[in-house]
Amino acid sequence: MTDLLELREKLKLFYSRYEAFLFPLVKFLLAFVTLTAVNSGLGYMLRLDNMAIVLIVALACSFLPVGAIVFFGVLFSLFHMYALSMEVALVGLCVYLLMFLLFIRFGVGDSLVAVITALLFAAHVPYIVPIAVGLMCGPGAVVWVICGTASYYLMRTVAENAQAVGTLGSDAVLDKIRLMLDGLVGNREMMVLIAALGITTLAVYLIRRLSVDHAWTIAMVSGALIDVMILLIGDLMYDINISVPGLLLGSLLALAVAKVLEFFRFCVDYSRTEKVQFEDDEYYYYVKAVPKMTVAMSTRTVKQINTRHARNVSGGRNAGSQGRSVQGQRNGSGRRVTTERTAGTDRRGYGSSRSGRTGDYRGGRSVTIGSTDAQGDEDSVDFDELL
Amino acid sequence: MLNEERIILMTHMASYEKGEGKKNVKIGSYFRSDYIAVAVIKAVISASVAFAIVFALYIFYDFETFMENLYEIDLVAFAKNALTYYGITVVGYGVIAYVLSTYRHAKAMKSLRSYYHNLKKLNSLYDQQ
Repeated sequence: MTDLLELREKLKLFYSRYEAFLFPLVKFLLAFVTLTAVNSGLGYMLRLDNMAIVLIVALACSFLPVGAIVFFGVLFSLFHMYALSMEVALVGLCVYLLMFLLFIRFGVGDSLVAVITALLFAAHVPYIVPIAVGLMCGPGAVVWVICGTASYYLMRTVAENAQAVGTLGSDAVLDKIRLMLDGLVGNREMMVLIAALGITTLAVYLIRRLSVDHAWTIAMVSGALIDVMILLIGDLMYDINISVPGLLLGSLLALAVAKVLEFFRFCVDYSRTEKVQFEDDEYYYYVKAVPKMTVAMSTRTVKQINTRHARNVSGGRNAGSQGRSVQGQRNGSGRRVTTERTAGTDRRGYGSSRSGRTGDYRGGRSVTIGSTDAQGDEDSVDFDELL
Repeated sequence: MLNEERIILMTHMASYEKGEGKKNVKIGSYFRSDYIAVAVIKAVISASVAFAIVFALYIFYDFETFMENLYEIDLVAFAKNALTYYGITVVGYGVIAYVLSTYRHAKAMKSLRSYYHNLKKLNSLYDQQ
C-alpha cells in the first residue's frame, strides 16, 4: 500500500509539474479519439474522413476550452449525416437542438462527460459511466450522461439505417424522416439505458455524499447493483436483448475502475476517524474528520563541505550516487559530507499530525562522510543515522 | 515589507475572481427578481422552440395522413390539444428554471458575501500597515 501511495504522490507531482503540457495533450488525444470514432462510425463525407483534418481539428481542440470537443464532434456527425441525406441531417440537428434547449442550456456539469459517455458506449463498456460520474462529478453531470447516451444512439441509428436511406430516392423526404424517427423514438434500448444510467448516476452521487464510513465503496457497489437491476428489468419488460454476461463483466470492470478512482480521489483511513463536538454563539458543531492516507516521498539531498577548493571538484568522490573517483583530488584535503534522505513509511495524514505533510519526512537518513586526500584512501566512514 | 496574511488573502481572492467568482459577480450584478425573470423568460423561449421542433417532427412523421385528414379532423380540438401540451411544457420548464435560478442566485450571493467580507478584511490589513 505504501508503494502505491508513493506512486500516487509521484503521479500527482508529475501532473502538477507538467500540467501546462499534459492538459492540452489530454484534450488533443480525447479530441482525436472522438473525431476518429465519429469518422469510423459514420464516415459518409469522405472529405472529413481524412487524418489531416482530424489532426488539425484535434490540435485546435487542445488549445480551446473542453466544450470545443463536443462542438466539433457534433459538427462532424452532422456533416456526415448531411453527406448521407439532408433529411437525416435535419433530424440529427433537431435532436441536438432539443438536447441543447432542454438540458445543456442550463450549463450544469461538465461537457466532457458526454464525450466520454459516447466513447465508452462505442467501446461497449458504458456501465463504467454512471459509477465513475456519480463518484467524480456533481448531480448536474447526469444531463451530460443522458446527452452522451442519446448522441451515441443517434449516430448508431444513422449507421444502421444508412443502407435503407440510400435505397430511398431523393423524393422520399418524408420516408427518410419517418425512418430516422422510428429508429430513435422506437428505440427502447436507448430509453432503458438512459433511465438506467441516469438513475444510477444520481444514486451513486447521493450515496457517496452520505456521512457513513466507506461511503464511496458502498456507493459504487450499490450503483452497480442498481444499474444491473434496472437493465435486467428493462430487458424483461421491453425485450431489448442485453447480454447478461456482458452486463455482469462490464459492472465488474466498472467497480475496478471505480476503485482506482477512489484511490486517487478519496483515499482515507477510517480507522483513525475523529469525532469532535464544539459550539460557538450560534451553532453546535458535530464534526467527523477522516484523515487522508498520505505518504512522504523519498528525496535525496547532497551536501558538500570542502575545506579548500579542489581544481576539479566534479571529479571528486560522490558517495551518494555514483560511487567514488579520486581523479583531480591528488593533494586535496577536502572533506565531503553526503546526506541522503530515504523514503518514509509514515501513513499519517493531514488530520492527525503535521508530520505527515509532504516535505516533512520521517524516514531514515544516512550520512556518508568521506576524505579526498592525495592517496585516495578509502578511509571513509559510513554510518547511518536514524532520526 | 511582505505581509504573509495579506498575500494569502489576495491569492485566495484572485483565484476566486478568476474562476467561480467571475460567474457569481455576473449573477450578483442583477437584482434577484430581475435575474430570475430573465432566466424564466429564456426558459420559456427555449421551451417554445423545443416544442415547435417536436411538433414539426410529429407533423412530418405522418404528414401525408395529416394532409389527407385535414378537412375531416376537428381542428379546434386539435389546436386545443396542441396548446394544452405547449402550456404544460412551458409551465413545467419555467418552474424548473425558476427553482434553478433562485438556487443559483442565493448560492452566488452567499459566495459573494464571503468575497466582500474578505475585501473588507484586506482593506483593514492595508489600514493597519
